[in-house]
Amino acid sequence: MTTLSHAPVSTRPIPNPKRSLITRLNMGTGIIVGAIFCWGTYYAMRAGRDMTDSHNVNKVLLASMLMWSFGFLVGIGALIGPFRWLIGKDLTAEEQLYLAGDGQGVKRYFKYCTDHKVVGIQYLVGVMTMLGVGGTMAMMIRTNLATPGSHLVTPNVYNSLVGLHGITMIIAMIIVATGPFGNYIMPIMIGARDMAFPRLNALSWWVLFTAIPVLCSAWFLGGIPTGWTAYAPLSDQAGPGMNAFLATIIIFAVSTAVAGMNITTTVIAMRAKGMKWNRVPIFVVGATISVALAIPAFPTFMLAMIQTGMDRTIATGFYDANVGGSGWLYANLFWIMGHPEVYVILIPGVAALMEIAPVFVRKPLFSYNAAIAGFAGIAGLSVLVWAHHMYMSGWMPSLNGPFMITTEFISVPTGLLFLVLVGTLWRGRPWMKLPMLSVYAFLWNFLIGGITGVYLSDVPADNYLHGSMFVTAHFHYTLMGAAFTGAMAGLVYWFPKMTGRMLNERAGYIAFWLIQIGFNVLFLGMFMAGAQGQPRRVADYAFVYEHSNMISTAGAYSVGIGMITLLWAVVHSWRNGKIAPMNPWGAKTLEWTVPYPVPLENFDVEPIITSDPYGYGKAAN
Amino acid sequence: MSTDTEFHIHHDSAEKVGRRERLGVRLLIVADGSFVFGMMFSWFYLRNLNENNAWLPKGVHTFTTASGYTAAIGLIIAALAHRAGEMNHGLRRVSSIVVFLALLIGAVYQWHQMAHMPFIAHDDNGRPFYNGAYASNWVLVAGANMFHYLLGAFVALGLVIRGYRTKLDPVLEEWRQRTAGSWFTWIAISGILCAIAASFK
Ligand code: HEM
Ligand SMILES: [Cu+2]
Repeated sequence: MTTLSHAPVSTRPIPNPKRSLITRLNMGTGIIVGAIFCWGTYYAMRAGRDMTDSHNVNKVLLASMLMWSFGFLVGIGALIGPFRWLIGKDLTAEEQLYLAGDGQGVKRYFKYCTDHKVVGIQYLVGVMTMLGVGGTMAMMIRTNLATPGSHLVTPNVYNSLVGLHGITMIIAMIIVATGPFGNYIMPIMIGARDMAFPRLNALSWWVLFTAIPVLCSAWFLGGIPTGWTAYAPLSDQAGPGMNAFLATIIIFAVSTAVAGMNITTTVIAMRAKGMKWNRVPIFVVGATISVALAIPAFPTFMLAMIQTGMDRTIATGFYDANVGGSGWLYANLFWIMGHPEVYVILIPGVAALMEIAPVFVRKPLFSYNAAIAGFAGIAGLSVLVWAHHMYMSGWMPSLNGPFMITTEFISVPTGLLFLVLVGTLWRGRPWMKLPMLSVYAFLWNFLIGGITGVYLSDVPADNYLHGSMFVTAHFHYTLMGAAFTGAMAGLVYWFPKMTGRMLNERAGYIAFWLIQIGFNVLFLGMFMAGAQGQPRRVADYAFVYEHSNMISTAGAYSVGIGMITLLWAVVHSWRNGKIAPMNPWGAKTLEWTVPYPVPLENFDVEPIITSDPYGYGKAAN
Repeated sequence: MSTDTEFHIHHDSAEKVGRRERLGVRLLIVADGSFVFGMMFSWFYLRNLNENNAWLPKGVHTFTTASGYTAAIGLIIAALAHRAGEMNHGLRRVSSIVVFLALLIGAVYQWHQMAHMPFIAHDDNGRPFYNGAYASNWVLVAGANMFHYLLGAFVALGLVIRGYRTKLDPVLEEWRQRTAGSWFTWIAISGILCAIAASFK
């Protein structure tokens, strides 16, 4: 193994395309132009409008928020590329090189930078910020629920906390693995020099970035009463804060569509010579299936938000029963997106663990084909199960049976994922590093998450459990226990390649155990509360639920401390950690063959692939 | 690390880049298609549900069946004109201007239609609202057409201007024409689907 001391980022001259606007724009100009667009729209539209009419208020706010996003993109230079295409003067090679940020040091992280490695780091920091904000809200929720009758927050604030915690975390979890690792690591894993569409890659990140202040603005506009699902018609009637939710999702949907098509195209069209489909690392397969599933799934969510927005601004009536609308329409559109989306979240996390397990037991992945079949089966079935969220809504009770069957069927491909992981561990001699511990944690957590999901898919059982804390506990076991655990393993595993340093092991272990133990205490307590009948999304509860809630809150504090420890470990190791060797885990995938800092185009010589990446314990591999 | 001081942004062959771009656009069409599917779902779901008999409340005026198709005509002409340019490259400059104009005029027409919706009513305070789920769906469909017109016009204008530039890579431009063709075809299909839905009153 080679050890590298950190070379200075680059000694090449910085390309300087003269007379080009590109060199002057950055995040700062983006914020300025975005703010001008936002306030300009706000004041121009207010003038002469009767602002006592809620439709007008919604119009003005929604337009201002979307114009902020658009203005930001103008100000950071996102539209230069399309404009230059339009007038037939494509960006020159020098300009493209400038956009790639070569030799620009830290500044490039604040620019419209097309280097996939920069975008990966931007996503990583973005995700950590969102998890921090969402986590803070979670701690407030749990503190409020520690004892019955506590009045830490008012019921309205509590509603907003629950809803905004939910949507912040859902967005964070959608990008938690495909954002940082899908962008930074995945192109290197397949031997590509960059993503298929580098400028769109920058676009997907910066578009997402503009959604963050929009979502935060909900707090200043009175919050949201609807929870993360934004059910209509409540969302039609909700106050001005709801506009922030709508704008966030509309912006986010654009970002996911762009990112999804970019990652999918990259994997289909940019693989190194010799990387046939059966030689693609499993993380790449998982991330691709996940984003490819998001491509058709998210537009229906966007549509639902646009319809809500139309109801709120121009007085259409999609969800207003007085004029022929229906809340069931919303529920359908939302969950046609919503259920695939939970697998969009799950699959990359599992795939990261499948990437990791063979490295640490030094055995080939057990049945690569079963893993693919599992992912594909889940993706295929996931679009046929949405109404298990609507059993109790009264929509088509005659379809409850069929939807119960399709839902329970998903356990089959899900079982394959277990099989693959357990098979890989079977009779192996695991090297018990932090990423490996996550594999075990995942197996435990997702077993509970999956089985409780089967309970919920059973119509008679759901009759009792629907709308209770049991549901909340179920999906936290899957989202946090499975997907987040996988992403955290990915972070520890790829940290050396992304930062050039090893993550502090001791702090990592402490964080891992605090989070995992705390998490299980927290949500086992919540299963108890749910089984006893405590409704979800309610600020206060009866005395019978006292003990289970106390248990949950205690667990939550452990998770909170663990998260802070993890954050400390990341920040500290990034700055002062041990310099990482080129291939600290002795893995066989391509990302470990490039040095840190990874050169602009990743490989000096294009790699040629001659075998699959899991040939551990075989000769001549 | 490599020690060379030359930049060499790597360039794949125009053929490869062109293919890749077409794949990307087709994936975006999948996303857009899912949106259009959702609109169809909304249309027929609310129509069949007819909540409170308010799909079309009594006395509400509707568009004619032809309206949906006239709204789509610009999209259809654009797709056909582009196709003609593909089959006969001599026509390309003319055809791309036709594509652009068809989309531009179509957008203006769509705008006109949206400004003269017959089904807007007024509540007790004199504030306008869309009376009935039919009305709501109509605006949505028209809005989607509008979006397609404007995005299509942008692409078409680019192709017109680029047709006069000589410094561009001909192979890549050829692929871009084809890629644009995928998009024009799709928006025409989407316009027709919307028109079919709109004919169900
Ligand atoms: C074996 C697999 C699974 C089954 C059978 C299953 C089943 C269910 C059912 C029936 C519900 C509806 C309960 C109700 O509202 O009454 C539900 C809710 C939910 N599940 Fe799962 N699930 C599974 C896996 C997952 C996974 C992998 C995730 C996420 C990564 C997930 C996330 C959620 C979420 C977010 C909700 C609640 C949404 C809400 O109402 O706010 N589930 N699940
Ligand atoms: Cu579901």
